[in-house]
Amino acid sequence: MSLRETVAVQAVTWTGISEPNDAAGAMADMLAFSIKGFAALRGELAFEDEPSSFEAALQETKEPTR
Amino acid sequence: MNKPVQGSLLHLSLTEAAAAVKDGSITSVALTTAALEAFSRVDKVINSSIWLEGAVALEAAEELDKKRKSGAKLGPLHGIPLAHKDMYYKAGKLSTCGSSIRKDFRPAYTATVIERLEEAGSVTLGGLNMAEFAQNPTGHNQHYGHCRNPWHPDYSTGGSSSGSGAAVAARLVYGALGSDTGGSIRLPASICGVTGIKPTQTRVSRYGVMPLSFSTDNVGPLTQTARDAARFMAVIAGHDPKDPTSAHEPVADYEAALTGDLSGMIIGVPTNYFFDGIDADVQAAFDQVVLVLKERGAVIIPVTIPHIDAIATYGGIVSRVEGGTIHGEWMRRRPQDYAVHLSGRLYPSQGIPAVYYVEGLARRGPILKAVGKEVFGLCHAFITPTLRKTVPTLLSTDIDAGTPGAIELFQDMSINTRPINYLGLPSVSVPCGLDPNGLPIGFQVQGRPFAEARILAIADAYQRDTDWHRRLPPNVS
Repeated sequence: MSLRETVAVQAVTWTGISEPNDAAGAMADMLAFSIKGFAALRGELAFEDEPSSFEAALQETKEPTR
Repeated sequence: MNKPVQGSLLHLSLTEAAAAVKDGSITSVALTTAALEAFSRVDKVINSSIWLEGAVALEAAEELDKKRKSGAKLGPLHGIPLAHKDMYYKAGKLSTCGSSIRKDFRPAYTATVIERLEEAGSVTLGGLNMAEFAQNPTGHNQHYGHCRNPWHPDYSTGGSSSGSGAAVAARLVYGALGSDTGGSIRLPASICGVTGIKPTQTRVSRYGVMPLSFSTDNVGPLTQTARDAARFMAVIAGHDPKDPTSAHEPVADYEAALTGDLSGMIIGVPTNYFFDGIDADVQAAFDQVVLVLKERGAVIIPVTIPHIDAIATYGGIVSRVEGGTIHGEWMRRRPQDYAVHLSGRLYPSQGIPAVYYVEGLARRGPILKAVGKEVFGLCHAFITPTLRKTVPTLLSTDIDAGTPGAIELFQDMSINTRPINYLGLPSVSVPCGLDPNGLPIGFQVQGRPFAEARILAIADAYQRDTDWHRRLPPNVS
């Protein structure tokens, strides 16, 4: 099954959304770049990492007061 | 007042015009009249506005002139005509979001940034053209007509704040709000030859602003100069109780930071990612930027951005999934009401596993900390080209027209801007040249979180020795 077909099945199954046009299908095929990107990052997520750490990181990383 | 004089009024920067209104040498009515006249003449070509309320604006300007004559305390934008990307809500006023779906939408409440700008004395002229739901980097809009570049109408304006970039470049207004989720302020700023700042994530309230991606949406201005942007930012930045995600961080005195002195400032130039496949003309313009900053006293060093592959990968997923989520209902019920390129862009997010989205969010904090240590541990700011390529034509990036290669070009436009949104850093795009087609080139300055004063100081110092931000597109009078 092509990536475009996989996305089509997943979208209609999970969210009830059908492929609206050929451009959408082409862009679904381009998710291959993202998949490759995520595959290369496997193992980098730490067990304790969580989304709420971002606001804390903004504070921790800000410019020191002069 | 005759046309040449009106034209010259609009060539003033925002801060120059504000000073003239304050000392009584120009009235708000004169500025507003000039702006409306310029829109009526120039917008036939560039199509930068969706709606304007001339009579309402002139009435507001008259009241502001009366207030000045009364000796009352004046705000920092007193009497200045502005117009904004058509996604900032004002109770009872149209806010199309550049879409057919919201063509008649009139919100019942007002965005905090609009309230703050009007309390500061600005006059709101209307809503500016934009990408449909702020989701393309090119300036295409099937519903209200494509926005066209004032430097050449066949070329892209950049997007999604297309009308904001075009209107400021054509000197129709002194400044305009844009929004930036993956580059939507900086791309039109660079491509139209104006200054545009994406603030730190959480720096500016998003209450009453059309959402696209709650993790990466930012509100900021496009203006002629860095000083104008500093004035604008001082008005809109700061915590808003109506937006609990807005930061409590104190707002710096941005204009006071504009000293022109970069002595002791260390500015990094990335050795990885941001220059891959760059056009020679963009590289040459960027090389000149480095020379100017050195002359101003900055020390330029190479820096390596850590985790850049992760930043690029996650940055491309987070906003897409969030956008795909909030558009889910309309994508189910009325997909035909979106332009082809937008429904095409929203649709694939339905196939991205939730675990990847959460991974992107979970690693955001640790990656930002790594950038803080490994980049900002060595330099105060880093600079890159805003786009790697020269400005494309509208046709070459027209997915709806079926142009071969348009999807790839479209997606590549934000390759240097989107990673900055993932990191949440402040970033300002500054004009730095013209390409062989006569279209602008820009560079962007990034600082630590909440270092808007720092990056504006660098932009302002650069603009003291260059005139790219003062140059006018052909036929702008």
